[in-house]
Amino acid sequence: MNGIHDMGGMQCMGPIEREENEPAFHETWEGRVFGMFFTNFAEGHFNVDMFRHGIERMGPAEYLETSYYEHWLHSFETLLVERGVLAEGELEEKIASLREAGG
Amino acid sequence: MPALTPEIVPGLVAGGASCRMDAEIAPRFKVGDRVTARIVNPMSHTRLPRYIRGKTGTVARDHGVFALPDSSVCGVHSDPQHVYSVRFEADHLWGEHANANSSLYIDLFDVYIDPA
Amino acid sequence: MTIANEGSSIMADDHTHNEPPSDTAMRVKALETLLTEKGLLDPAAIDALVETYETRIGPRNGARVVARAWTDPDYRQRLLEDGTKAIAELGFSGVQGEDMVVVENTGDVHNMVVCTLCSCYPWPTLGLPPIWFKSAPYRARAVIDPRGVLKEFGVELSEDVELRVWDSNAELRYLVLPQRPAGTEGMSEDELAELVSRDSMIGTALADAPAG
Repeated sequence: MNGIHDMGGMQCMGPIEREENEPAFHETWEGRVFGMFFTNFAEGHFNVDMFRHGIERMGPAEYLETSYYEHWLHSFETLLVERGVLAEGELEEKIASLREAGG
Repeated sequence: MPALTPEIVPGLVAGGASCRMDAEIAPRFKVGDRVTARIVNPMSHTRLPRYIRGKTGTVARDHGVFALPDSSVCGVHSDPQHVYSVRFEADHLWGEHANANSSLYIDLFDVYIDPA
Repeated sequence: MTIANEGSSIMADDHTHNEPPSDTAMRVKALETLLTEKGLLDPAAIDALVETYETRIGPRNGARVVARAWTDPDYRQRLLEDGTKAIAELGFSGVQGEDMVVVENTGDVHNMVVCTLCSCYPWPTLGLPPIWFKSAPYRARAVIDPRGVLKEFGVELSEDVELRVWDSNAELRYLVLPQRPAGTEGMSEDELAELVSRDSMIGTALADAPAG
């Protein structure tokens, strides 16, 4: 699909920002998301192409405003609901209950 | 019981999951052939980026046979075919604004290209 | 509720441990909790994966490959002919390095790697990609203005040198074999590996010059 992910040759994206001595993960949640690719893959929830397509189907504005591992998270959520592993709204309910329990 | 336990992690990480497929398929192209990328606009997943579509390049290498991502996105690795490294000259891709003395290599699945 | 109550595994070393977790951190925690409750995720497997990619898999692996190629002409030959097999000789293989191609920089050719469609990257040799490699500006510009990108990275490449950009869009992963710097004759493989930066194996830098 001709999505925002197909970026080769686009212009005016700004400077390339680099970071010295970058860690593998900047936040703890990034490592959890990274690991969930493997666990979801091992469960047979998706293959790498389905996973990439889950990212490609993000809205363009959201895609540009979110980070790499947020893209991964978005794809997991899309695919897990599509495959019936999660019910629609189940994640929101869990977030609410965790917040109620004090995070 | 989860499929992935800590004991399995080292083997999974070291083994990986190649998309290469063991299929005897004759290549349609050989190194040096001129090929043109198809002009397609599929609504689904593809690894043929827009900036290559309709452009003509030269086969630089045959990587062997791999599953086609455009089909694998439906769930199972399928449509095994040759993947070729194809070289495109920068001025052909980008016209008068191209960098001097530059080229672009990209891996193209057999169904992405036609003889030029 | 194994992991939710031990939520420390997610939040413990966040800088904001006295603040409520960010929306994203909470979302991730909720997803991990749900999958764990359903018996579809073992948090200890994720701990093992994080530990592996934080401590054992990174660009020092690729630097070993480069240093070996610089000191062993037969190895260099094997590396350029079948990257996957030659890299596996040194023990580096696996996820996102299943099918490797090594491209060599010379006095006439400079290679640089990008993935315009996502952020494909050779994990076993380079680790997980840096943010800039995954960023929109790099992915967009590396193919249309690679010399401009190199300049931004501090590499002034003569127009006499052919610049080859590799868009790793399929399942092949690319490692650049940088040129061995001058003045390194007699250096050991270990000393040479120290000169090989991550960026020099992506092609956005040259190998470092030896000190002194």
